[in-house]
Amino acid sequence: MGREVSESCIDSLLTEMVSSYCNHFYANKPELAARRIEAIGYQVGHQLSERYTMERPRFSDHLEAIKFICKDFWSELFKKQIDNLKTNHRGTFVLQDNRFRWLARMSLDPTADDAVPQDPADFAESKAAQAMSMYLYFPCGIIRGALSNLGIPCAVSADISNLPACSFVVRIKA
Amino acid sequence: MATTASFIIVSRNDIPIYEAEVGSATKREDAAQLHQFVLHAALDIVQDLAWTTSAMFLKNIDRFNDLVVSVYVTAGHTRLMLLHDSRNDDGIKSFFQEVHELYIKVLLNPLYLPGARIASSHFDTKVRALARKYL
Repeated sequence: MGREVSESCIDSLLTEMVSSYCNHFYANKPELAARRIEAIGYQVGHQLSERYTMERPRFSDHLEAIKFICKDFWSELFKKQIDNLKTNHRGTFVLQDNRFRWLARMSLDPTADDAVPQDPADFAESKAAQAMSMYLYFPCGIIRGALSNLGIPCAVSADISNLPACSFVVRIKA
Repeated sequence: MATTASFIIVSRNDIPIYEAEVGSATKREDAAQLHQFVLHAALDIVQDLAWTTSAMFLKNIDRFNDLVVSVYVTAGHTRLMLLHDSRNDDGIKSFFQEVHELYIKVLLNPLYLPGARIASSHFDTKVRALARKYL
C-alpha cells in the first residue's frame, strides 16, 4: 500500500466530479448533486478509515478519534495535519486547516459585471461562494464516513469565510 | 494433526458477513451448526470486552467443552472470530492480521457495500490457505 498518485490528477478528478454532478446528472438540482457527492465521500471515508487504522490500537473515546482524524488521517490524505482544533466539550468540534489543499488553486473571481456597485458584488460573491461550496461536500463526506466507521455518528459542514483557510464543523449526534 | 476451527467475520451491526470451516478435521453434520451457535453466543461477551481495552486481539474470551473462542476487533468494530481447539496463540494472531489485510482489500473495492456478505471466491480461497498455514 505505498503507491503514489499525481496531485494534479486528484485535482482534475475532483473538479470533473463536481462539474459532472452539478451540470450533467443533476442539472438545476444542486441539493441532490450535493447529497450524491457527500455520499461518495462517505463511502471513501469509510474505506480510508478502515485502512489507516490497521496498525494502531482502537480508540477509547470520541476525542481520541477526532485527534486521529486531525493528525494521522489528515496527514495521509493531505500530507499535513489540521492546524487548529476547537471544541465546546458538548459534542461540537471545529477543525481548521489554514491552507486546504483541494481549494488552494481555486480563485474567487470578483464579478465581471459592474452595472450597480454594491448589490451585484454581494450577489456575485454569494454565487461564487455557492459554487465553491460544492467542492466542499466531498471532504465533508470523507470526514463523516471516517467518523461513522469509528462509531461516532455525526454531521459535518464546512465554512470558507476566509480562504484559503477552511473550517470543518463536526456535530456529534447525541 | 486434525484441528477443528470455525471462522466468522461479523460486521458492526452484528450481521455475519463471512463464515468458513477452516479446520482440517472432517466435518460432522451437527458440529457445523453447533460451532456457529457458540460463536454467536460469544458476541455478547465480545461486546462488553471490546470497550474495556484498546487492543485489537482478544484471546480466549469464551470456552465451550474443549473449544476456545478468540476474537480480533478492528477499529471499525468488525469482529473476526475464531473457534478452535489448538493453543497456538501467535499463529492465531498472525492469521487474524493477515485476514484483516485481506478484508481491507475487499473493502477498498468500490463495488462492495460495507456490511454486505463477502461473496468473493478469491477471498475464500485465500482465507483457507492462510488457515492451513497458520492454524
